[in-house]
Amino acid sequence: MPSTFEQTMLPHLDAAYNLARWLLRHEHDAEDAVQDAFLRAWRGFERFHGSDGRGWLLTIVRNVCYTRLREARRSVPTEAFDDGVGTVPLEEANPIDWSQARSALLQRALERLAPEFREVLVLHELEGMSYRDIAAVADIPIGTVMSRLARARQKLGSELRTLSETEAAHEL
Amino acid sequence: MNCDEVRPLLNASLDGESDLVRQVEVDAHLRGCPRCAQLAANLRARNAALRHQLPRFTAPAGLAARVQQTLAAEAASVPAAPTAAPASTRAPEASATPGQPAEPRRPATLLGFPTWRFTGLAASIALAMLVGYNWGASGARRTRLYNEAIGEHVRSLQASHLLDVVSTDQHTVKPWFDGKLDFSPPVVDLAAAGFPLAGGRLDHLDHRTAAALVYHRRLHPINLFVWPANGDEASERTYQRDGYTAESWSHGGLNYLAVSEIPRADLDTFIHAYRSATEQ
Repeated sequence: MPSTFEQTMLPHLDAAYNLARWLLRHEHDAEDAVQDAFLRAWRGFERFHGSDGRGWLLTIVRNVCYTRLREARRSVPTEAFDDGVGTVPLEEANPIDWSQARSALLQRALERLAPEFREVLVLHELEGMSYRDIAAVADIPIGTVMSRLARARQKLGSELRTLSETEAAHEL
Repeated sequence: MNCDEVRPLLNASLDGESDLVRQVEVDAHLRGCPRCAQLAANLRARNAALRHQLPRFTAPAGLAARVQQTLAAEAASVPAAPTAAPASTRAPEASATPGQPAEPRRPATLLGFPTWRFTGLAASIALAMLVGYNWGASGARRTRLYNEAIGEHVRSLQASHLLDVVSTDQHTVKPWFDGKLDFSPPVVDLAAAGFPLAGGRLDHLDHRTAAALVYHRRLHPINLFVWPANGDEASERTYQRDGYTAESWSHGGLNYLAVSEIPRADLDTFIHAYRSATEQ
């Protein structure tokens, strides 16, 4: 393995695994996908000319994961994905108390979103990537990143509310 | 700014994706408006909860070693270094490696076609499958272009990005584009026709850099995207969605796409005025 490849790409192993783990929602599938992605990255490394090694690697991870999701989609129905157009209204009435949001419930809420929404949240909130960098990884215009992120956050709030209410009902 | 102007900007503002001027205006509004300040506080709490309560998974112990083993095995099975491998053996990976970082310079060809075309095609097919339409139809491609332009129009209203060069003077705006683009978009002020020039910016449309000229109709901006046709002339069509109208045409080797939320008749008037002034 060329040492430059190792130096450029291996530091992003966690980022690669995190994205794959959130997209595929399964530890072993994520490990397989990361190995596959590194192999593809290595084979195509001559085509890497930029400075953003993480973005380049995550683009490959994403492609590998989506291929797997498409294969799996035949057997497992997933939520329909609708990007929509226009602004997302901000929730004002009866807001969620986010300071009380628990980690486990948030995680379940995020896992219920369509992968296209999951990935923008993971890249933005967990990897701290800018709209521009996310646009490059997901191959969408920046405007779409902005609206998709807004919609993803709103949907996450709705899922969280549903899960909290279900849980509260079970406790009664 | 009033509440209705500030609210669509809040997300980008809290994400640090707003430009300085708008940030200052948003901050000023929040200091004086308890309702918007409360809303912003709640969004901030939400973002903090997402950032701190969602787990960032770390690679399991041993994955790094397994990755290195895989690569070592791959290196051993390929006698030459990857840079010396024939193009045909690399072709299968093209579908899974990102086309974008590689596109600018890649001499490799497969059966005489640049391999990036395959990469782009594969990416397009993947995208088409994801969003559930067939890329093959040119109508779908056009729809995608219109939607992209409307998306950029919406973004230009929300975020930092409406104008890179602010000027009502065509003699300021036109030279600004020179040197930044490999083509020269016709810039004219149409204030006399009721569409004053507001400025311009560089944007991205259909996978290439486009000039975006911004005109105003009363308070509403019109984005006029201009980019070289390169043999792929835009047909004269109108597309409407969610209150936005997009109209395209082509002239003199350049494609044009105007987007706005103004009534279609007004946009037609604008296009007529622009074309009359620029097409001799």
